[in-house]
Amino acid sequence: MIADGAPALACEGVHKTFPGGVEALAGLDLAIPEGSFFGLLGPNGAGKTTLIRSVVGLTRPDAGAIRVFGRRAWGEGATAARRAIGYAPQEVALDRFVPVRESLTLHGRYFGMSRADARHRADEMLIAFDLSAKADDYAHHLSGGMRRRLLLARALLHRPRLVILDEPTAGVDLELRYDLWAYIRSLHADGSTILLTTHYIEEAEALCERVAFIRGGRIVADGPPSDLRERFGAARLEDVYLQLVGR
Amino acid sequence: MTTAPLAAPRWRGVAALAEREVLRVLRLWTQTIVPPVVAAVLFIVVFGVALGNSIRVIDGFPYEQFIVPGLVLMGVATSAFGNNATSIYQARNDGFIEDPASSPMGPTQLLLGYLAGGVARSLLIGGLTLAAARIFVDYPVEDPLVLAAALIGTSLAFSALGAVVGLHSTGWEQQNVVGNLVIQPLVFLGGVFYSIEALSQPWRALTHADPIFYMVVAARHGTLGSSEVPVALSLGITLGLAAAMLIWAWVTFIRGVGIRT
Repeated sequence: MIADGAPALACEGVHKTFPGGVEALAGLDLAIPEGSFFGLLGPNGAGKTTLIRSVVGLTRPDAGAIRVFGRRAWGEGATAARRAIGYAPQEVALDRFVPVRESLTLHGRYFGMSRADARHRADEMLIAFDLSAKADDYAHHLSGGMRRRLLLARALLHRPRLVILDEPTAGVDLELRYDLWAYIRSLHADGSTILLTTHYIEEAEALCERVAFIRGGRIVADGPPSDLRERFGAARLEDVYLQLVGR
Repeated sequence: MTTAPLAAPRWRGVAALAEREVLRVLRLWTQTIVPPVVAAVLFIVVFGVALGNSIRVIDGFPYEQFIVPGLVLMGVATSAFGNNATSIYQARNDGFIEDPASSPMGPTQLLLGYLAGGVARSLLIGGLTLAAARIFVDYPVEDPLVLAAALIGTSLAFSALGAVVGLHSTGWEQQNVVGNLVIQPLVFLGGVFYSIEALSQPWRALTHADPIFYMVVAARHGTLGSSEVPVALSLGITLGLAAAMLIWAWVTFIRGVGIRT
């Protein structure tokens, strides 16, 4: 079982150096309370994606601890931790050999749902993301926006308590961006914890209750956007960002 | 939102991944099933039925009968390897392997799920080749259990090897190198088309060093009831090799090669 009262995500001293000597995470500490809408901002190469991949079990940290609702994300307890996470990666990577509805159903079953529950939930997600008409099509026949919606639907299919969205609106048109914002907001309103990475500062400002800036593999500042603006004497969150990256 | 109950999540995942792998094989049947069966039947027709008259009898069996078990085994070995090497590399290359890899399934479950495709495809090809061969050649099945053990052992061994190669590959060409320059020669030099009794040294010793030779001999024992080496030895090596390959694949999944950075 997932521990009650534990942060949705707690990272302590997380290090990761890739072969070749690139230090992606340099003793990163981060705590995301349950139920919060949290934005992670930083320049390219700051460590955002490495951190997220470490949380979801795709990058093995060299040192430190990562806990999801009190459960270790690696080793013993990882089953419960991974079950609690819904992850939409930055790159749209969808199974080309199975149709849309089936790919959602398979995802649910990978995450431990029964076949019937996964099918039912897949139909719900198809309706929620306006993909019902494409249920029997293959993912590579969908438009870019539809693929992005499908990726989000897949991440939410197994009813995760922590939803991790790695640049979910990158490269999508304004209309879809607003649609995705609306869905993510409703998800948060239902009680899910959201961790969002984005390059769009205004997106973080519009959506997130708290944001953290990551640079050089460390969190260099975090807090509610209003506190950060006040702390840095900035009118906009973008100005805070520019100060932190030394511009 | 609530998290769904944690009842047996990993094994449901295995069933789903196995189903996905088998469905992939069945949906792509014109690429995955038909070509190896047709190739084996062509070998039987050309080498066995057409040219068999010039060889007539080998180890006491008509040549067209003699080559059937080896051809069946050849189809099982190459399709088991090719299926898993291709499917896993494609899933890595396209990135969708990250979906099951970030699920609650552990390395053992991922291995079992991915093995299913190679095992299902290769045994289906083995069964269809046996059935198709029957149209041209009247062969016996003297020991069905030995035949089944030889085919299943071969299927597991090469499915596991395919998984290892699929996880280690950094390009399609590496799979072709292993398939065409390692497995195919070992299969052809493993006594599919000839009896080891006809060989002189050092070819006889080299054939004895080829693990696929023992798989072929085990399949031949199961079919024709004839063995060039004791069946315990040929089956033992077949199943031992399957166990070794499965352990190698399992360790590769545990290390996260090709999946986790």
